[in-house]
Amino acid sequence: MKHWWKILGIFLMIYSIVAGIGIPLKPGIYDASPSKANTGEQFTMNAVGYLTQFDKTPDDLRAWLKVGNDFAIAANSIGVKNESTLNVSFQIPNNLPTKDRVVDASLIIDSKKNGYAIFPSAVFITNTTQQTSPEGWNNSIADMHEFKSMAFPYRNILQETIRNLFYHVPLWFGMMIIFLISAINSGRFLMTKNQKFDHKASAYASVGTLFGILGLVTGAIWAKHTWGAYWSWDIKQNMSAIAMLVYLAYFVLRNSFEESEQSARIGAVYNIFAFVTLPMLLFVIPRLTDSLHPGNGGNPGFGGEDLDNNMRMVFYPAIIGFTLFGAWMATILYRIEDVKQRIEDRAFYE
Amino acid sequence: MNFSTQIFHLIKKEFILEWRQRYALSGILLYVLATVFIVYSSFVRVPDTAWNSTFWIIILFASVNAIAKSFIGESGNRTLYYYSLMNPYAVILSKMIYNTLLLLILCLLCYAAFSFIAGNPVQNTGLFYLILFLGGTGFSITFTFISAIAAKSKNNATLMAILSFPIIIPILMTLINLSANALGMIKNTAYTNDILILIAIDLILVGMALILFPFLWRD
Repeated sequence: MKHWWKILGIFLMIYSIVAGIGIPLKPGIYDASPSKANTGEQFTMNAVGYLTQFDKTPDDLRAWLKVGNDFAIAANSIGVKNESTLNVSFQIPNNLPTKDRVVDASLIIDSKKNGYAIFPSAVFITNTTQQTSPEGWNNSIADMHEFKSMAFPYRNILQETIRNLFYHVPLWFGMMIIFLISAINSGRFLMTKNQKFDHKASAYASVGTLFGILGLVTGAIWAKHTWGAYWSWDIKQNMSAIAMLVYLAYFVLRNSFEESEQSARIGAVYNIFAFVTLPMLLFVIPRLTDSLHPGNGGNPGFGGEDLDNNMRMVFYPAIIGFTLFGAWMATILYRIEDVKQRIEDRAFYE
Repeated sequence: MNFSTQIFHLIKKEFILEWRQRYALSGILLYVLATVFIVYSSFVRVPDTAWNSTFWIIILFASVNAIAKSFIGESGNRTLYYYSLMNPYAVILSKMIYNTLLLLILCLLCYAAFSFIAGNPVQNTGLFYLILFLGGTGFSITFTFISAIAAKSKNNATLMAILSFPIIIPILMTLINLSANALGMIKNTAYTNDILILIAIDLILVGMALILFPFLWRD
């Protein structure tokens, strides 16, 4: 079975697409309004859930407003409108537990069926009485339920786009590995002067460039949802686009020579040089300035609660699957190039 | 000839050639002056941010023009002559050292012209000279190596630009970031980090250029 890795690649690709699209998100809170309240008032808010089934178990619902890590008040009544809408009422105490004039409180809703869901900064409570004391703010959050079935975490703003982790990130991982293979083949060409390695290097570079462009496109679609625009001239976006220019220049360079040995040799030299500059463009420079991209400019990267074990079970196979699939594409490209070369050589000798 | 004498003679040769065809050098210097005048007349009062970015962009274009000829200018026969005599490392190193010196002159002239015409907003002068030095070195290393690649092709002027501009961007971004510090536009006490990044980039590029040049030069 010398084709085992191609089968593995296809299997992992299909798995990551089916599992990555098919597995639902955990129930979460999508919106809560109004977002302003005063101390001492009876406050009723309208919470909109995503994928929640409030109407299935209306009696098991509990809700809290949480301020900081230590203080919370429980809801005094919860009315279920339909499967995704709740009316939650709170009697807000006359005083705030902290000295701030305005505090932000998170809305937490727990249900037996949906597990618990958090909506950060749901309400801003203004202290109209100017009193500071923890009275009335008892932390009664306990016995939280977990969502039982297989699901990905629900995050505000990210929502369904959290699945982009299975496609966008593996494309960039795969691109780096494929460019590395391309640079290694260029090195072997310079050592051996065997045209075979040059064809391999250019095939891998083509697939790497394709992966990079797809990575830019998937990133842009994700950015439209989370950052508000396809292209926000973020440093990470700019540097990735420039990295693609580096490799497009490689193809222009290769095509600017008539003699194939010279084109291969100079192309190989530039390919290695380009690969060395790639980490600077993608990893060093985005650290210098502010960036919206996860993992840069103080933003959390993947890890923590954004990447739970369910996601890991799709994310890591996706990296391997995309890389193997790319390598397969490159071997096909290489063989086409190799056959072309042989036909040319035969025509030359006849 | 041992390695260092080879480098010494090659650099000496570069200086003699430059002196014989003075129009090339004076052309570059006039280029800098003319662009500084254009910048000044289009801005009249140059704001600090514009000062910073236009300064480095002028240096960028002037260095591409100055360095592009370093391999393209060599005739085929003379190249053949070097190849039979010299060590490839001596050839590329001497070009890099010579181009660094040339770029340092160019940077200083550009700085002087900017200060004279558009004002001098630099607050941390010592840091700015260090940045000029590191920038000149980085530009020289990258452009010298790329010009060695581009010189092999017929349409070398286009290739020089498309090959070198994407690769120079990490250096250029770090430089603009650092010199914004020297201009007092941003207060970043951790700028030594950026300086170390710049030195690391320069060293990596020199290393790669030295490893790859022997494969490049012999046709």
